[in-house]
Amino acid sequence: MQLEIEITTQPIAPRREPPEETRGRIGARAEFAGLVRAEESGRPIAALEYEAYQPMAERVIQQIVEDINRRHPCEWVRVIHRVGVISVGEAAIVVEAGARHRAEAFALLTEFTDRLKQDVPIWKRRTLNRDELRNPPTP
Amino acid sequence: MRVLFFAHLKDVTGCAEIGVELGPPADADELWRKLADRFPALARLRGSIRLARNCEYVGPDARFADADEVALIPPVSGG
Repeated sequence: MQLEIEITTQPIAPRREPPEETRGRIGARAEFAGLVRAEESGRPIAALEYEAYQPMAERVIQQIVEDINRRHPCEWVRVIHRVGVISVGEAAIVVEAGARHRAEAFALLTEFTDRLKQDVPIWKRRTLNRDELRNPPTP
Repeated sequence: MRVLFFAHLKDVTGCAEIGVELGPPADADELWRKLADRFPALARLRGSIRLARNCEYVGPDARFADADEVALIPPVSGG
């Protein structure tokens, strides 16, 4: 399995093609994107700010993917999580999986996103309203 | 050793990291004693905080060394 992990402050780039060497082995490709919604805990918001303990987050993501991959083998997995201020409608996370068949790809995405929310040291640090988004408060 | 704080723990402690010297036994209880002396409000959150040593979660029996980077991991909320 080829694994790409990225934690970035930049907007998540559009879908990438799987590596050339996996071409012909991937029969199913699935993508999960987690987007910032316009409300948090019942209050309207304009953005969320995420924070990561980056080296550990990357390590835990790798451990989780490798563990799931033993049971649901995929050819290629890409995990990209954005941190910093993310506006409503933008992606906080994108996970892509390419596998021989759809069952493995779907299973990996489902289990990975569940375990991400339990173990990967990334946090929603705070919410920002429209005024705060225009003039972000200092941390 | 370095001790790192994340998310709302930065608000509780007022900082992102501190240096701590542990006496024997250099274990989690000793670390929490040191932290509670300095940040009493932090001790009340102990039940919800996991410890990581050099980017790996550790259990309650962990021992720490001066060169370790220890992180206090509050409940995560990524994705």
